[in-house]
Amino acid sequence: MSITGSCECGAVTYSVQGPLRDVTICHCGQCQRTSGHAWASTSVPADQLTLTNDAGSNGAGLKWYPSSENARRGFCTECGSSLFFEVTGENRTAIGTGTLHSTNGLKTTKHIFLADKGDHYDIACAAPQFEHYD
Amino acid sequence: MCHCGQCRKQSGGIWSSAYVHQDALAISGAVQWFASSKTAKRGSCPRCASFLFWKANAEDTISFSLGSLEGATGLTLSKHIFVADKGDYYDIADSVPQKP
Repeated sequence: MSITGSCECGAVTYSVQGPLRDVTICHCGQCQRTSGHAWASTSVPADQLTLTNDAGSNGAGLKWYPSSENARRGFCTECGSSLFFEVTGENRTAIGTGTLHSTNGLKTTKHIFLADKGDHYDIACAAPQFEHYD
Repeated sequence: MCHCGQCRKQSGGIWSSAYVHQDALAISGAVQWFASSKTAKRGSCPRCASFLFWKANAEDTISFSLGSLEGATGLTLSKHIFVADKGDYYDIADSVPQKP
């Protein structure tokens, strides 16, 4: 099963081989700043993700930002969409759920880094909540 | 809280924001502006892509992300918008008013 996705402007497109991990919503400070709220993601083994376009009309494309000593975040340099997150050595890529063209019935199964959550919203969803990663 | 397709693609989830008059917001550092439609643009950091601003061309207000604020905000959510475009992988279970 191949699923496709893209950033908002289309400079970065990808395909991914299923199955996709269920959705985790991260409330950590980095995800809040990057996304503007909380970052929802699925995840696959890194070798199951294929970039199908990485070049916009003006040379735009995927750029990796080293967000910590052991992780990086991939975004589009044209529209700024937050597409990917990888932890060094884990060989997995987290994919921003909002960038998938079809979510195929994925469900949110946990909220993480609740210790860092903003004070301007409540989580009323029934998915389990964790103070940190789990 | 905006659930539209553009906000979900750019943020990865849902975009939460507040807004002020454009004269009340001082920006330091570089902003990458993306014309997301004929009527609006979105501003992000060129280094890490943090999705910071949304600005309607014809309006004199500017929206800024709540995720980018430091410390306690003292704000409360007032509405969910573009709920018709929301993803199928989450439910909105709070009592905040929703608009399609």
